[in-house]
Amino acid sequence: MSLTDIINAVVSLKKDEVVENVISEINKGTQVDDILDKGLIESMDVVGAKFSSGELFVPEMLMAAKAMQAGLEVLKPHLSGDATAEKGTVLIGTVKGDLHDIGKNLVSMMVEGAGFNVIDLGVDVDVEQFVTQAQTQNADVVCLSALLTTTMPVMAKTVEAIKEAGLKVKTIIGGAPVTEAYAHQIGADGFSDNAPGAVELIRKLMAA
Amino acid sequence: MNRVVSNFDRGILDKIHASSIELLGDTGVRFPNREALEIFKHHGFNIQGDMVFFQETDIEKAVEMVPDQFTLHARNENNSFVIGDDSYRMAPGYGPPFIIEPTGEMRQSVLEDTHKFCKLVQTSRALDFNSSIVAHPNDMPAETAHLDMLLSTMLLTDKPLMGSTSSKQCAKESLEMAGIIWGNIDKPVMLNLVDSLSPLQYAQEMIDALMVYAKAGQPLIVHSSCSMGSSGPITIAGSLVISNACTLAGICLAQLINPGTPIVYGLGGSPTDMKTGGYINASPEDAKHTAIVTALSQYYNMPCRSQGALTESFSLDYQAGMEASMMLSTAALSGVHVSLHACGTYGSMLAMSFEKFLADEDLCCAIKTLMKPIEFSEDAFAMDLIKKLGTSGTYLLESHTASRCRNEFFIPDLNIRTIHSKWLEMDPRPMDQRASQLLEKRLSEYEKPDIDPTIENDLIKYLEQKKK
Repeated sequence: MSLTDIINAVVSLKKDEVVENVISEINKGTQVDDILDKGLIESMDVVGAKFSSGELFVPEMLMAAKAMQAGLEVLKPHLSGDATAEKGTVLIGTVKGDLHDIGKNLVSMMVEGAGFNVIDLGVDVDVEQFVTQAQTQNADVVCLSALLTTTMPVMAKTVEAIKEAGLKVKTIIGGAPVTEAYAHQIGADGFSDNAPGAVELIRKLMAA
Repeated sequence: MNRVVSNFDRGILDKIHASSIELLGDTGVRFPNREALEIFKHHGFNIQGDMVFFQETDIEKAVEMVPDQFTLHARNENNSFVIGDDSYRMAPGYGPPFIIEPTGEMRQSVLEDTHKFCKLVQTSRALDFNSSIVAHPNDMPAETAHLDMLLSTMLLTDKPLMGSTSSKQCAKESLEMAGIIWGNIDKPVMLNLVDSLSPLQYAQEMIDALMVYAKAGQPLIVHSSCSMGSSGPITIAGSLVISNACTLAGICLAQLINPGTPIVYGLGGSPTDMKTGGYINASPEDAKHTAIVTALSQYYNMPCRSQGALTESFSLDYQAGMEASMMLSTAALSGVHVSLHACGTYGSMLAMSFEKFLADEDLCCAIKTLMKPIEFSEDAFAMDLIKKLGTSGTYLLESHTASRCRNEFFIPDLNIRTIHSKWLEMDPRPMDQRASQLLEKRLSEYEKPDIDPTIENDLIKYLEQKKK
């Protein structure tokens, strides 16, 4: 048994096997931080890469994320402090007037799978809610989603409000009609057109 | 009906209906709108929170109230038409915020693009009416952009039009503008698209718009679709049930508000790209929905709407032609009455293209020719002529041919029909470049349709007031 088995079990979408392997590693006395970083989080990096190359399909990626989450639940009582909060807090939501959440949920699961503390505000989230939550949750990154062209301007308003509030939080945007150019235009810190890309972007912004 | 309507087993349609009724009764549909909930409550519906539960008799009553056809009036009555007869009525793209240029560059659409598209719609031999968002004018304030688009349609075309359904205010203002043209609106003058939000709900703004237009007796396209595998089941059968239930619920609300409100039944379904989670359109699965939606609309005895010349492509390539043709011909042959997106859209309906618009016009005209019943008159049989010429001579020299030579066949504007050597000499040769050339010609030849100057001034003043 090794941490590779955890990775293989996640990639094979075998939730029960992930849980068994995590328990086995804990019982063996493997460092819990290693089980988290080199096992579970690493597994989602592998899953993300396989998804990006087209090898894994979306539902499979989500099943993998669920399997990883199951392993994380088993590991959590053994982690010192709040390990996910240490990696950073990511606030995510679909902007006011927009009820579409498929893309937002994909990003949310993948970011969570990468070990971040994700706070999902849901859909139809107004500007003030983003600002207040970013402040009270001490968020590092705020992710804004929109599918409708009519709600895209709300992204601009939200980014502006976050800046006006003097928060140092980074803002990133995504959604079918959203482009890199639009992100630049409204002063957002980044854009991604897919969930693993959003994870990479958040990592980059957090490292900057 | 001269068209070949896909012959779905009545038992299958009964099963789709029964399953939809089961969903409407057990799961319900979410109407997050206080006024709508009050209306349902007033009529004795079972409501829990903002979930509304329907009984089969509620749906049956509503369906019976829907007229099987209606006339959509244009400000130029010569352009008015019936929806629900044997005709297939087409409008251009609906909703794109971008333009894709022949170079591949994608840019935000502006009001000038809207104007150009209106001019193309007016001079189009393919399109019957204009959509309310042919290209979203990003250079205009978002709060009044719907009025900019509506004014453009009203002034630059005299074909039937669509109202905005973005919000209650948008719907009310659209009607106020229509009132400037028609005065007291006592007939259908504005077709309005109400989309549900899968799974099994409507957005508050859409319900508001539905109620405004239903109260005014204006026709509604009540349309539901899901992204199969993400916002609905991955199977077509499941998708049909979930969307049919939602459409029926919307139709029911409209009929409770104003019995007899003209309805165009709409239902679609598109796969989720399992590799990306993205929305895919113009797939064979979309086309299969189109084939059965006509059977369902006939089951409920009301006109129907499907998608148009869609494509996932971003250029005038084989894929664009293949997908657009599959979508539009399936709709035409299945008996669809109304299509939006019949001209101009690229990439999941996100962008418009002037060049694709013109290429799609050829496709639309070809499809309409395909649908035209074959003439079997005495003159069409041409027996005397056949006997006269026997095995000699040429029909090219006969008046029977000359009298029909301009109208008997479909003649494309853009598709080539030439010999190889001439094709090599063509300048420009690529279709997108020839389309750009044709675009210039079409725009330069455009003539603004007549309008009463008082009405024109009042419409312009109305918009100016709203922008203050």
